[in-house]
Amino acid sequence: MSEPQQVNLQDLDLPALQQVKAQLEEELNHLTQSYTKLKGVQGRFRDCAESVEAMNGEKADDKQILVPLTSSLYVPGKLSNVEKVIVDIGTGYYVEKSIDDASKFYNEKVNYVKENLATLEKSITDKQNSLRAIVSVMQDKLQEQQKEAKK
Amino acid sequence: MSGASDVSSNPRGIPRSPFVERVEDYVSEAEPVEVVLKKFQEAISKYKFMEVNLLQRRKVLEEKIPEIEKTVAMVKLLVEKQDNAEPLHTDFELNDTLYAQAKIEPSGTVYLWLGANVMLEYKFEEAIDLLTSKLDTAQGSLKNTIEDLAFLRDQITTMEVNTARVYNWDVKQRRDRKKESA
Repeated sequence: MSEPQQVNLQDLDLPALQQVKAQLEEELNHLTQSYTKLKGVQGRFRDCAESVEAMNGEKADDKQILVPLTSSLYVPGKLSNVEKVIVDIGTGYYVEKSIDDASKFYNEKVNYVKENLATLEKSITDKQNSLRAIVSVMQDKLQEQQKEAKK
Repeated sequence: MSGASDVSSNPRGIPRSPFVERVEDYVSEAEPVEVVLKKFQEAISKYKFMEVNLLQRRKVLEEKIPEIEKTVAMVKLLVEKQDNAEPLHTDFELNDTLYAQAKIEPSGTVYLWLGANVMLEYKFEEAIDLLTSKLDTAQGSLKNTIEDLAFLRDQITTMEVNTARVYNWDVKQRRDRKKESA
C-alpha cells in the first residue's frame, strides 16, 4: 500500500478513513511484533558470541564444570576441547568451528539482524506518520460535520 | 451419563450435575423458570472454566513426561558407563545454538535440578528412584486429568440437556396457559 497523499485523504469520507486507520493500526501491530522478535533473536546471538568469548579464556581439562545432559540433569566434568565449538547454522545443520570462526559467525549474525531492525524501524516510523496524518484529517472532518449539523 | 445417584463420591470433588427427570421438581413459585435457567447457565460456565484449566494442565504434563523419561534414560546410561570406569566425551549445550565438548569422569553422583533455584546432588540409585517416582506421579496426574476431562464433558452435556428440557417445558406451559385462557 503506497503512501496516501494529502489530496486523497481529504476526498475520503469518514467511514473510509476509519477503514484506512484500522488497516494501518493492524500493520503497525504486526511490524512492532516482528521488531520485538528480532530484538530477542539479536539478544540470543549476542549471548552466544559472549559464550564463545568466555571459552576463549579457558584451558581444557582445567576447571570442573557442570555438564547439562538434559534440562534437569547435570554431571560434573571438564572441558575437553577449547579450540572448537559446534554451531547450529539452521535448517538442521551443525558445523564445527574454531572459536574465532564461531565468534565471527555470531557477530555477523548480530550485525545482519541489526540492519534488518533498522529497516523495520524506518517502516514503523513511516506508518506511524501516516497514521497521525489520517487521525488529524479525521478530526478536521469531524469538526466540519459538527459545524454542518449545528447550522 | 444420567442418574444422580450413580457414584456417591465425585472424582476429585467435581460436583455431579443432576439430571432433570421432572421439570416440576425444579421449577416452582419461588423459583421461576428464568431463575432455574440462569442457575443452569452458571453451572455450565463453571464446568467450562474447569475444563479449560484441565486442558492446560494436561498439556503441561504431556510435555514434562518425555523430559523425565529422557532424564531417567540418561542416568541409567551413566550407571552403565560407570562400570567401564572410562571417561565419557560428549557435546553439551552451552547456549541456544552453541555446543561444546566436555569429558565426564565417572563420579558416582549426578546433580538434579528440582526447580525453584534448587539443585541437589544424588547418587545414581537415589537419582533413579527420585526420577522414577516423579515420572509415576506425573503419569498418574495425567491419567486423572484425562478422566476428569471426560467426566466434565459428561456433566456439561447433562446440564445443556437440562437447560433444553426446562426451556421446552416452559414453552409448553405457556402454550397450555394460552389455550386455557383463549
